[in-house]
Amino acid sequence: MDVLTVTLNPALDREIIVENFKINEFHRVKNPSYSVMDPGGKGINVSVILSGLGVRNVAMGFLGGYIGKVVEERLRLISDLITTAFVHVEEETRENIAIVDPLGETITEINSSGPLIKSDDLRMFIRRFEVALSRAKHVVVSGSIPRGVDNDICKTLCKKVADSGKISFAEGIGPAFEIAVEAGVITVARPDLRSRKLLFGETMVELEDYVRTAKKIIESGSRLAILSYAIEGDVIATRDGIWLFKTKGHIDRSHLLGTGDAFMAGVVHSMIENENDCFLAAKRGMAAAVAEAEYIGKELISLEDIERHLDSFDIRKLE
Amino acid sequence: MKVKEAMIRDVSAIFEDETIEDFIVFCLRQNKSGLPVVDEEFKVVGFLSESDVIKSALPSYFSLLQSASFIPDTHQFVIRLGKIKDDHVSQHMVKPPVLIKPDDTVIYAADLLIKNGLKIMPVVDDEGKLVGIVNRIYLIHVATQGKINR
Repeated sequence: MDVLTVTLNPALDREIIVENFKINEFHRVKNPSYSVMDPGGKGINVSVILSGLGVRNVAMGFLGGYIGKVVEERLRLISDLITTAFVHVEEETRENIAIVDPLGETITEINSSGPLIKSDDLRMFIRRFEVALSRAKHVVVSGSIPRGVDNDICKTLCKKVADSGKISFAEGIGPAFEIAVEAGVITVARPDLRSRKLLFGETMVELEDYVRTAKKIIESGSRLAILSYAIEGDVIATRDGIWLFKTKGHIDRSHLLGTGDAFMAGVVHSMIENENDCFLAAKRGMAAAVAEAEYIGKELISLEDIERHLDSFDIRKLE
Repeated sequence: MKVKEAMIRDVSAIFEDETIEDFIVFCLRQNKSGLPVVDEEFKVVGFLSESDVIKSALPSYFSLLQSASFIPDTHQFVIRLGKIKDDHVSQHMVKPPVLIKPDDTVIYAADLLIKNGLKIMPVVDDEGKLVGIVNRIYLIHVATQGKINR
């Protein structure tokens, strides 16, 4: 096994296409292909993309109820390279429903909150994580923290990875992510800045704000920091410097779905092959993200896609 | 056809020192009838099924009876179940477990399942570590599709 991914709060992503969608009216889905279900959650997304790159991985976390079973079954159907090892909890896994109206150009989203994780569930998960950790070299901890789990969970998991001399990749936002970054236990840190640009109590607006935050992440102990800057750029920091990666072409906002997870998968894939070259990993991650942006939905990119896009962005050294 | 083409790549398992009650909750939530039992290195050291739990909760002479109606007090079953619920899984699991490897044939897996009266069988790597499971209904499905001798 090469990689372990952890998704503490997975979801079933459901997309329903309804033309001329209106509230308070009856609608019928015209075609089965207009109603699709995909396993979701950031760690799971990375698992799926890694499988497309030929990387065998184990997906862990919490699932619950009927929706949890659907997520698990569908995840295994995607690729033989994905093995599941979820702890099942009492309440239902969350569902993210998006009603897309291509004619009215609207997207209506309804997200449920996800299950409550009890202390026994967490204890069982951590024990299984420790055992699984002995079989993996690279661990991805990504996504939101479910109800009932303390904010130190990301730090706890990444510390176990660091203590065993392995590499952790973490993506998240809020206190749980910040605590782990400040503890210096994350090897590759990527704040999830989709909903807000707030990190360590500071809202990032200008490029200098992003550079300052990236520096803080590296000074805290990470080897690579990746901060999404505007739609087409990323601020990259390693212990050797800080750079701005910017795509040469325009990327439409509607094509951003899955690009962050593709970036992370590209970085993981690169570091499996070349553990010490963080800058190369960032370049291959960026190429993976640009490749993913060619698609509207979550599609599986290939290694050829990454190679093809290695020159699709400019690199400017900032410091 | 090889086991690796027909196995379910799920490594849900229970540890030797977890309890029978944990096992019951695990099976209920995952809709499973049995689980591989693993040690701290993830090596499969046993297998526990719902049948094993029932056997442990029934009086030892039950196997001699033709019907459960011969048990003088069926309440005994509930009492015994209450007594074993906090026991460690290792006290009631089947060991050594019946195991199969990814490169074994599906025919061989089917043979082991039938001969041992199993519904689920753990699949292990060369070190004996759990990599997945095969189950009876999926092998029947494969057989009905004519893939089993491929």
